[in-house]
Amino acid sequence: MKANYVLFWVVAVFCYIAAAVYTYWAVIDEYSVGTVEWVGTVGLVLCGVLASLIAFYVQRVYKAQGGELPEDRLDASIDDGEAEQGFFSPWSWWPVMLAAGAALAFLGLAVGVWIAAIGGAVVLVSLVGWVYEYHRGYFGH
Amino acid sequence: MVQVGTIVWLGSEVMFFAGLFAIYFTLRSTQPELWAETTQVLNVPFAFVNTVILVLSSVTCQFGVFAAERLQARATGWKPTQWGMVEWFFLTYLMGAAFVVGQIYEYAILVSEHVSLSSDAYGSAFYITTGFHGLHVTGGLIAFLLVIGRAYAAKNFGHKEATSAIVVSYYWHFVDVVWIALFGIIYFLK
Repeated sequence: MKANYVLFWVVAVFCYIAAAVYTYWAVIDEYSVGTVEWVGTVGLVLCGVLASLIAFYVQRVYKAQGGELPEDRLDASIDDGEAEQGFFSPWSWWPVMLAAGAALAFLGLAVGVWIAAIGGAVVLVSLVGWVYEYHRGYFGH
Repeated sequence: MVQVGTIVWLGSEVMFFAGLFAIYFTLRSTQPELWAETTQVLNVPFAFVNTVILVLSSVTCQFGVFAAERLQARATGWKPTQWGMVEWFFLTYLMGAAFVVGQIYEYAILVSEHVSLSSDAYGSAFYITTGFHGLHVTGGLIAFLLVIGRAYAAKNFGHKEATSAIVVSYYWHFVDVVWIALFGIIYFLK
């Protein structure tokens, strides 16, 4: 995981340098003398922020876990990593419902607001259904 | 897993707001006179108070996360030190809602002063940037309600519930930081 966050820091530093070069280049350009080209400058700086955010987070996780994960060790065997990996839903209808609701809502914006109201209701039901799918009924805990 | 996914998604949100900031700065650089004139009507003290409310809501949100991390859903007494995640998140919800209400009030005042989405480039830039941020805050409020609901739905408040509380807090802090940037650009830099 160390390699992961170092890579993201490298990407971040590259983006910040690229942003500085881009800004300077735009300022000295003969067609736009003295003005900053904002789209590229903002875009490149925030690309750096994007990489920094992930780098910072992965670094924090790495520091907090107190050691290397089995997948980062050459001497690890498969069963070293067999602990619970997290929760993964095997299947669910709710994402399909939510997508249908969103499609109806946006269709409504294009052709008639009354359809959007129906879409909104479907979105509401699907969202609640999805969020609580593994928190009620058989899965109540 | 959920946390890493949330952070990567927030990275993509950074790029979404990058587009909005780029719109704002580009329009501003092409029409400096319009900006100098129209930014006079902004009510900076009001927006500052609103900003303080949003920043403080991040603090209360974090206290909610601390409660969730000790797997305490509900308060054990009236004192804030005894509050659970639910109480802190309700308080955060109220503060976030106050921010949105304040923003709507500000919009109403600005429209009455003839700054609207279609009035000029400044209006478009102002409402698109702050409006998309406001929609994010509103989405965060819905997320808070869903997480509070999960705490009520669970007989045993466990790590699963705590994880959803933590990722919603990531989102909320992110939206807060975006607002601080927007506030600095729109109300101070002008």
